[in-house]
Amino acid sequence: MTVLLGLAARRERLRSAVWILVVVMLGAGLVSYIDRYFTTQEALRVYARVISENPIFLGLGGPVAEPSVGAMAAWRSGGLLFLLTAWMALTIVIRHTRAEEESGRQELMLSGVIGRAAPLTAALVTAAVAALVAGALTAGVLVAIGMEVAGSLAYGAAITAAGWVFAAIGAVASQLVQTARTATTLGLLALGVSYVLRYLGDASGATWLTWSSPLGWSHLVRAYSADRWWPLIVSLVATGVLLALAYALSARRDLDAGLLPVRPGPATGPYLKGPFSLAWRLQRGLLAKWAAGVMAAAALFSGLSGVAPRLAEQPGWVLDAFLHRYGGPSGDPVDAYLWIIVLLLAYTVALYPVLATLRLHHEESSGHAEALLSTAVSRLRWAAAHLAVAALGTLALLALGGFVTGLIYSLVMGDPAVGRVLAAALEHVPAAWLVGAFAAFAVGVLPRVSVALSWTVWGAVIVVGDLVGPLIGLWGWSRVEPFHYTPNTVSGEPFTAAPATVILALTALLVATALIRLRDRDLG
Amino acid sequence: MDDLISVTALTKSYGATRALDGLDLSVRAGEVHGFLGPNGAGKSTTIRILLGLIRATSGTVRLLGGDPWRQATELHRRLAYIPGDVTLWPALTGGEVIDLLGRARGGLDQRRRAELMDRFELDPRKRTRTYSKGNRQKVALVAAFSSRAELLILDEPTAGLDPLMEAAFRTSVIEEQRAGRTVLLSSHLLSEVEALCDRVTIIRAGRAVESGTLSGLRHLTRTSITADLAGSPGPLSDLPGVHDVLVENGRLTCQADSDALDGLLARLSAIGVRGLTCSPPSLEDLFLRHYQGAAR
Repeated sequence: MTVLLGLAARRERLRSAVWILVVVMLGAGLVSYIDRYFTTQEALRVYARVISENPIFLGLGGPVAEPSVGAMAAWRSGGLLFLLTAWMALTIVIRHTRAEEESGRQELMLSGVIGRAAPLTAALVTAAVAALVAGALTAGVLVAIGMEVAGSLAYGAAITAAGWVFAAIGAVASQLVQTARTATTLGLLALGVSYVLRYLGDASGATWLTWSSPLGWSHLVRAYSADRWWPLIVSLVATGVLLALAYALSARRDLDAGLLPVRPGPATGPYLKGPFSLAWRLQRGLLAKWAAGVMAAAALFSGLSGVAPRLAEQPGWVLDAFLHRYGGPSGDPVDAYLWIIVLLLAYTVALYPVLATLRLHHEESSGHAEALLSTAVSRLRWAAAHLAVAALGTLALLALGGFVTGLIYSLVMGDPAVGRVLAAALEHVPAAWLVGAFAAFAVGVLPRVSVALSWTVWGAVIVVGDLVGPLIGLWGWSRVEPFHYTPNTVSGEPFTAAPATVILALTALLVATALIRLRDRDLG
Repeated sequence: MDDLISVTALTKSYGATRALDGLDLSVRAGEVHGFLGPNGAGKSTTIRILLGLIRATSGTVRLLGGDPWRQATELHRRLAYIPGDVTLWPALTGGEVIDLLGRARGGLDQRRRAELMDRFELDPRKRTRTYSKGNRQKVALVAAFSSRAELLILDEPTAGLDPLMEAAFRTSVIEEQRAGRTVLLSSHLLSEVEALCDRVTIIRAGRAVESGTLSGLRHLTRTSITADLAGSPGPLSDLPGVHDVLVENGRLTCQADSDALDGLLARLSAIGVRGLTCSPPSLEDLFLRHYQGAAR
């Protein structure tokens, strides 16, 4: 038992240290952020009012009862800190139970003088300690930077409680299913559902929804305002019940077995007709994850468009600078806000074709390509299949992002905009393709360094790009990245085909070079 | 009939290292050809050149009458390949992989597929990430044997198989040969090659060191014998096929060709045998004995 605990602690110390550091820094960072931007009591009161009037803000962290820095910071960071700590604890438990069992390492350990339940206990203790450290350290740092003690302690306890509940959920999940992957999916699903229930509860004021979510119990503490401790009793009881369930389940099953049956896959593959259907089959999971992410981000940012008209209330020079960057002929700050959302989507989605193209490299280096290319499939068709998924996937993601942004904006603002936002998003397709084409070039010509090179290109585009660049100052507003040349049609700039044509030509050139080289070089 | 595979003076260099150094190989239509050599001798490199996955540095290579680099795709319709290290797409099931590879090769014999599935006791509905090494190997075997290819290129195909499955593999190879197919079987197991192959090419350090029929290479398959005897056997020089005889303190060590074993054992049992050890020569032994210095 102590051996296992030592082993788990050793394997976790770096990973959980990073998680905990992120939690603590976020917690402390947001306090200083609120402190810096809302210098007067009046400003805090205005902010609190804005929050309580907007359901999307309310959903982020629940109602702000008191316009104090602590309450604000807890409102702003709470949802995230609870989520992160819960995620950390969940994955620690699964990593040291089901993943170990699946790998066969646990068989080796259990053949020693170690009880059957010992691995589960060791995993739970490790996760519980990590969550405790995260909560205690956050509370400690907050007290140290001058926050009120009672509130900080309540906040820290709420963080730890979120971790404990999800450690127990992870313990149950890893008893139920046979692979660590499925157990993690199950656990994260529970986490996602908890978050959504809590968000809806806080956004709509339907408290029973918040109460039905394990993350909600930590929120209901309402640190720095109500400082209620008793919702955490619910967390503790739930943790106890789940743990009892996990131990009972673990006593009932065999090593390596799960309780939910493993669904066998298809015995034949009638729809796997060739390289294209295979590429789609291998890539659809990645695309689905991106689609979900793009949809969520687009909905979130366009849902916040209500704040955009307030931009006009900013002091003149701030507004001018902002409009100079993101506004167009219309000079409307709301249009500029929409353009920022479109840019955000475009720069982010540009990573998708990179990842999808790198799959080609993975197929080569893992030896999968060898099996396929020893059949009548040519290298060209094999590569074209993956590149087609990357290109069409990029198009689909930008269309989806533009559509959702336009739709939600239209609903929130009562101003139909689906057409122009969708068009603006699609305008960025060639630029995103060009970023992906660099990855294709790397895979074809410099396979050994292709992963590093492709990520570097995307990273560089982001850093010198129109969105992140100005924040950094030095390299901002650069003319060397493709997105810079997309006309701001949201604000009425006319569409010109010339930049897109040049970008498409460059893309074609890079891809063609990659394919020619790929046909000609040794494989694997 | 032309050779299905004909390789002359093939070299492949990776920078300063020479993976292949003037290799010759010819495989005739309808034969099972053993491609024998220790690990790292260049077997897989040769096969990857034959498949057009990598390009030869120099030398000529003909496969099924074509150029394996330039005509890779059309030639691949006529062959099936089992890689030395079978890695499969983890999210696909075994059945899906077999169908995919079969279809990509231009067709699958469904009856043969079902028969082989049975013989190799393979569950086609499991995801390949949950397969053991032996099971992944079986997926590749079923896919290759149920194709309609005229040439099978098998790179150490029995790695990871248990003895029962190895027997199933041998049965399948014999069936393939009866059906008129040609097999190139790379292996480092002498016994496997001995059981299945008509002709053998032995490769070491990127060069073919022996090539011919198995009976022509009989001297490679001598059994080494150590016997504790009741009396002196004499020099045994009258027995053909018995070599390297050494007698010390009533202990005899010698090498015997397979067809000389009968006579030798009869002679020994007449003298009286107290202890007997027979072992087939390992490949390493063979290389040490016959080729030491040859490749230097």
